[in-house]
Amino acid sequence: MNRINPTLILLIRFLLGLVFIYASYDKILDPGKFARDIANYHIVPFGLENSIAIFLPWIELLIGFGIILGIFLDGSVFLSGGLLVLFILMIFQAMMRGFNIECGCGLKEGEMVGWSKILENIVFLGASYIIFYSKNRVLEIYPKTPLSE
Amino acid sequence: MDYQKQSIILIALSILIGSIFNSLSDDGIPWVAEPIKIVNNSEDALDFLAEPSIREVEIETAKALHGSGILFVDARAEEYLSDGFIPGAIASDDISMLADQIETKIGFDTGFVIYCSDDDCGSSEELAYHFQDIGFNNILVFRGGWKSWKDAGLEIEYHE
Repeated sequence: MNRINPTLILLIRFLLGLVFIYASYDKILDPGKFARDIANYHIVPFGLENSIAIFLPWIELLIGFGIILGIFLDGSVFLSGGLLVLFILMIFQAMMRGFNIECGCGLKEGEMVGWSKILENIVFLGASYIIFYSKNRVLEIYPKTPLSE
Repeated sequence: MDYQKQSIILIALSILIGSIFNSLSDDGIPWVAEPIKIVNNSEDALDFLAEPSIREVEIETAKALHGSGILFVDARAEEYLSDGFIPGAIASDDISMLADQIETKIGFDTGFVIYCSDDDCGSSEELAYHFQDIGFNNILVFRGGWKSWKDAGLEIEYHE
């Protein structure tokens, strides 16, 4: 990924970070609705959807800022990739089980699970991959971008 | 610091901030979701729908509820009100007029508190059941009533 222009990487970071921040907003304000959306996937046991709904949106928010500002960039982008893989699997299993449920993705109100959501998440996953393996980085607040590498 | 350590820190921070925010937020939720209880047959279901939801509260709860603006209904006869009553409480010897007043103010489904003179007065309970028969759904009976309110030194209202 060394050949990709650092400015382009910065742009990708900005867009991906924005997606995560935007997606976290409604979930933080209404954890009850997000918990019900999670429960609809019928995959989380013992009522733990509430616990997930309490902290997952904050992970999204923190990594969103982390990716844009370059704070714990590696960790943020690694977590974003992990989350996106998880989201893809969740949506896929719901589709395979024939559930016609709300995505709960936080990007668009009332959006249902479907191939377009999977494709969208694959694009975001690709962005995470590019950022994670990029070497020519600019704007990293903490840890600082190494001056010589 | 490698990406694994950063990820762990980010997750830990999210759990911490999420817990604090959730405990402070009005829209906070319990950590574990409680499933909706199952009713096994139609008889139980109908019983549940008609179930009286009258509960007792004591002075501390009554005080907090009063602070939150819930309606208080004084079940004592009007002649006793000259001693004072709980601020904002409504009262009337004409029960159907009292019911109309409650309905106009808060409707049938918003809860309210009924009290009478003391622990054993009984009229608040009696009135609660009467109101329930009329169709009011959520009624709290303030055990200890007027006496415990006055003994606790809480604010009192007097008729002009």
